[in-house]
Amino acid sequence: MIADLVIALVFIGYAISVLMGFGTILTWVERKQAAVMSDRIGANRAYIRIPGTKVKLVWWGLFHGMADGLKMLLKEDFKPRTYDWYAYAVAPWVVFTPVLLVFAVIPFGGALTPAKLWAPLAGFFGEKSWPMQIATLDAGILIVFAFSGLTIIGAMLAGWSSSNKFSLLGALRAGSQMISYELVLALTVLGLILIFGTVNLDTIVRMQSGTVLGFLPAWGIVYQPFAAILFLAAAIAENKRIPFDLPEAESELIAGYFTEYSAMKMGLFMFAEFIEIAIVGALFTTLFLGGYNLPFMTDAGFAFPGGGTVAMPHGAVVVTQLAVFLLKVFIVCSFQILIRWTLPRFRYDQVLTFAWKFMFPLALANLCVTAVAVWALRA
Amino acid sequence: MISDFLAHLDTLLLWAFAGCAFVSAALMLVLRQPMRVAMALVSCMVFLGGVYGLLGVHFIAAFQVLIYVGAVMVFMVYAIMLLDPRDEAASGGKYSKFFWPGLIGFALLAEALAVGYWNDLPHAPRGAAGEPFDITRFSAAFLSEYWLHFELTSVLLLAAVVAALAVIKENRRHDRG
Repeated sequence: MIADLVIALVFIGYAISVLMGFGTILTWVERKQAAVMSDRIGANRAYIRIPGTKVKLVWWGLFHGMADGLKMLLKEDFKPRTYDWYAYAVAPWVVFTPVLLVFAVIPFGGALTPAKLWAPLAGFFGEKSWPMQIATLDAGILIVFAFSGLTIIGAMLAGWSSSNKFSLLGALRAGSQMISYELVLALTVLGLILIFGTVNLDTIVRMQSGTVLGFLPAWGIVYQPFAAILFLAAAIAENKRIPFDLPEAESELIAGYFTEYSAMKMGLFMFAEFIEIAIVGALFTTLFLGGYNLPFMTDAGFAFPGGGTVAMPHGAVVVTQLAVFLLKVFIVCSFQILIRWTLPRFRYDQVLTFAWKFMFPLALANLCVTAVAVWALRA
Repeated sequence: MISDFLAHLDTLLLWAFAGCAFVSAALMLVLRQPMRVAMALVSCMVFLGGVYGLLGVHFIAAFQVLIYVGAVMVFMVYAIMLLDPRDEAASGGKYSKFFWPGLIGFALLAEALAVGYWNDLPHAPRGAAGEPFDITRFSAAFLSEYWLHFELTSVLLLAAVVAALAVIKENRRHDRG
């Protein structure tokens, strides 16, 4: 019982540090990648000087994240005189908390057996093994959608309670955009659920460690390449990032629904957005890229299509799985940032038309084709 | 000591969630400002989702939050957002004048119930009590036993929407005439 508690606390600590780490690193990646893409030096102003010397540590601008954090903490905490202070105060948290909670059902590694990692641990943990996931819930992906629905309410509350016309317009845009794209997002995932026959994310990852046609890794993206593209597009729109950042379009709405927020409250909105990039990355990795496993890899080691197998010690498997998961998530995050600096912003009517007249029918068609194919193959 | 606490953690959390759901439901009844009413209802739904989750039916918990908060309440908040918050008719006064009498009556009722039924309170089921209620069982039950109820509810909801439209049209005709 106490061993369960210790393991749960370790996993929760790991998840929070991973998310916070991604949130901080991605603010830097976004700037640095923009600089690289537009052939600038970029993000090199913040530095730490070693006291008493003239040595400045720039480290490719990595300290910009710290500078941002300090600025947000020390800035004046401006509060508008609004007709609902309660909604105004609670809105950043309604946006931020569900984003963190979503990670609870995402498996970030296979089974962990502490006794096999280091023999003396057996005294405390016994021979039991735990899946590396905070909550092993059978409802998996449904929980993800349930929580992401809460963020919509947060964005609308923030815009409404700010007593600012720009904020209200931003909130209206955020509300209708997120409702539309959440539908598309759920529809694209349905095809995958049909194929795997479960909504449990851990089982979905385990089912992706085999092969298709003898040589391809059985990843979701191989089964559902079309859904993968739609999912990523809808997820970026759900996260309100360029080219879908209409709710906070600077040239039209100042900062949209969080115009009236300053200091750390504004920081929470920004941080939630950056963590959500990582969450989208983690979800895409789990559903379409085989989760924490390398191709042909299971908890026991590698099993190549030719018939060759490589057994791995438990510690190596755990470290590989953790590292592979983080790497895949980072690649998907970097791809999202690539899109952000490549495409121009849509017009608002185009965003909604794109959702309802283009992506929604495509997602439905994908689902129908998948359903027929699954039915035909099983019959 | 710790393992004792952990053994009763489920029950403790269940009661905490149930209490919070109860308080939010009560707040929903007494608050006057539309957006706060909506927020109280949202938190009530979320806490109820927690209660379902602790009772081991994770699907119902997810659907509770997904459908009621993610779909229904989002639309309600959207509509309330477009109301004029300075409209006196919508917010007139912070609480209803029955707030205090209602609260006192409520406390008395709760106390009577608590005293009467304290020993019969249910406890959260621990561990694997029977088969888990997974998506296969849920889908089978939903599509074989409850499909008629579900379809009837959707027809009723449609009727309610049509009725609401009719009421609005009727009022508009009065305003013009």
